[in-house]
Amino acid sequence: MSPFEFSATTIDGSALAAPLANPGAGGFAAFEGRVRDRNEGRQVLALDYEAFEALALAEGARIVQDALDRHGATAARCVHRLGHLSVGDVAVWVGVSAPHRAEAFAACRAIIDAVKHGLPIWKKEHYADGDSGWVNCEHAAHAQRFDYSRQLALPEVGHQGQSRLEQARVLVIGAGGLGCAVLASLAGAGVGRLTIVDHDRVDASNLHRQPLYRIADVGRLKAEAAAERLAAYNPEIRVTAMPRRFDAALAGELVPDVDVVVDCTDNFAAKFLVNDAAMRARVPAVLASVYQYEGQLQVVRADRGGSCLRCQWPEPTRDGLVGNCVESGVLGPVPALLGQMQSMEVLKLLLGLPGQLEDELLLVDLLSQGVRRLAAPRNPGCAGHCVRIGAGPQAAGDVDVTLPLTAAAAAGYRIVDIREPMECEFEPMPVTGHESVPLGRLLDGALEVDGDRPCLLVCAHGVRSRAAAEFLRARGHANVWSLRGGLAGQAG
Amino acid sequence: MPRVNLQYYALLREQAGRRAETLDTTAETPAALYAELAARHGFRLPASQLKVAVNAAFADWERRLEDGDEVVFIPPVAGG
Repeated sequence: MSPFEFSATTIDGSALAAPLANPGAGGFAAFEGRVRDRNEGRQVLALDYEAFEALALAEGARIVQDALDRHGATAARCVHRLGHLSVGDVAVWVGVSAPHRAEAFAACRAIIDAVKHGLPIWKKEHYADGDSGWVNCEHAAHAQRFDYSRQLALPEVGHQGQSRLEQARVLVIGAGGLGCAVLASLAGAGVGRLTIVDHDRVDASNLHRQPLYRIADVGRLKAEAAAERLAAYNPEIRVTAMPRRFDAALAGELVPDVDVVVDCTDNFAAKFLVNDAAMRARVPAVLASVYQYEGQLQVVRADRGGSCLRCQWPEPTRDGLVGNCVESGVLGPVPALLGQMQSMEVLKLLLGLPGQLEDELLLVDLLSQGVRRLAAPRNPGCAGHCVRIGAGPQAAGDVDVTLPLTAAAAAGYRIVDIREPMECEFEPMPVTGHESVPLGRLLDGALEVDGDRPCLLVCAHGVRSRAAAEFLRARGHANVWSLRGGLAGQAG
Repeated sequence: MPRVNLQYYALLREQAGRRAETLDTTAETPAALYAELAARHGFRLPASQLKVAVNAAFADWERRLEDGDEVVFIPPVAGG
């Protein structure tokens, strides 16, 4: 039994299904695609199928194997008709057996979708009015081209500018709220090569601010879902998905090969990584971050020896001192607008437009609709730092403590919940006898630390508490600790 | 000047008026070859709508063509 075959004669589903039976397979799903009597409003009488068989057989076998591996199905096969078919004939048949129905349905769906869209098989429809046509080809022959005329009309853009955009390579790190806006507008502008790095999957809680994703994308890799959406939006550009964690190795591999890198991440560790890789490769970087109703924008002109992120934030580990979208909340337009502002800076760079941000920090407050442009010059103290940037953010393991909270209480730790009051109400502490000092008040000095008794700081995920512990350690309080993984790490 | 073997399918087959041909070409890449063929056979599909296979595997439009390569330009597909 071959995983993918062509047939010149009528397809018999039950005969094809027989060899897929397996004692361990509790589910079997089959799909039959049949010739329909209508397509796009025209009455269809018959079809002719033809295929580039050598390539289709190899690719078809790969599609079936891929679906088995990905969905954990037991066995599968697909048979496609060739030649002349009449209305009602079975054109394609897919059968999958699997331990349970979910895997069987999922693999069956994956196979038919991939076969329909990926294999070199064509159909010519014969219509009741005597006309005929190759499906997809005839429309594509008159396909709309992506029309840049409205931006070409700008005297600063023109054909020369458009051709610069077509040649440009832009790397976007993070396909969240900022990234969706950046990617959509750069794809629309016709930036020739976009690479998307994001290891995360689409979560339903992302959708309100990340409109590149549909509800059906929940659970998919963001980089892949975004690349697919952008390819459909503008088929004239090349979009590459990199569903990998952005680390120093990947940064070293990707950053030197692009014209601009755009930081759309939500944490300081990643931002420093982008900053350092850009500085090392002398590639300009456009960084942004958002917090509730505000945002910041900075363009690191590494190509011109400009000021960098470390010039403004000399202390490397700051995650937790400021909240992210998960902890602090965010309104959709905030990352969308800041992302569009990043795109504007990218286009200014690529097109050589005036007004580029350089050695500046742009502060945007969307409640007051205020924008402030602050000078952020190169910090002379950073010069050495920028040379030694290989060091990267420090690992901060030594403040972390891993143990159940009940054990910590029994061992005599003073337990301090540094979450916001609303979070405490939503998820109460699993122990009693703790204190509550929200992070903001702690940073203002509201927590009196007694040197003899160990003090354990607790937050939702262990990020803010680690930053707070480091903050207190830096002020001479050696006996302060952070609960690794926070309350989330205590579950189960 | 590489000599390449071409196969045509579906709409391209009809527009070329043949299933296959062997061609001596000055084109160094599939992209340049398609431009040459589009002019010769009046292909209306833009290259952006096509894929290309060289020696029965999907290939890059900018790869270098070698003597004896089997090249197939793949119009938008409609299996199922």
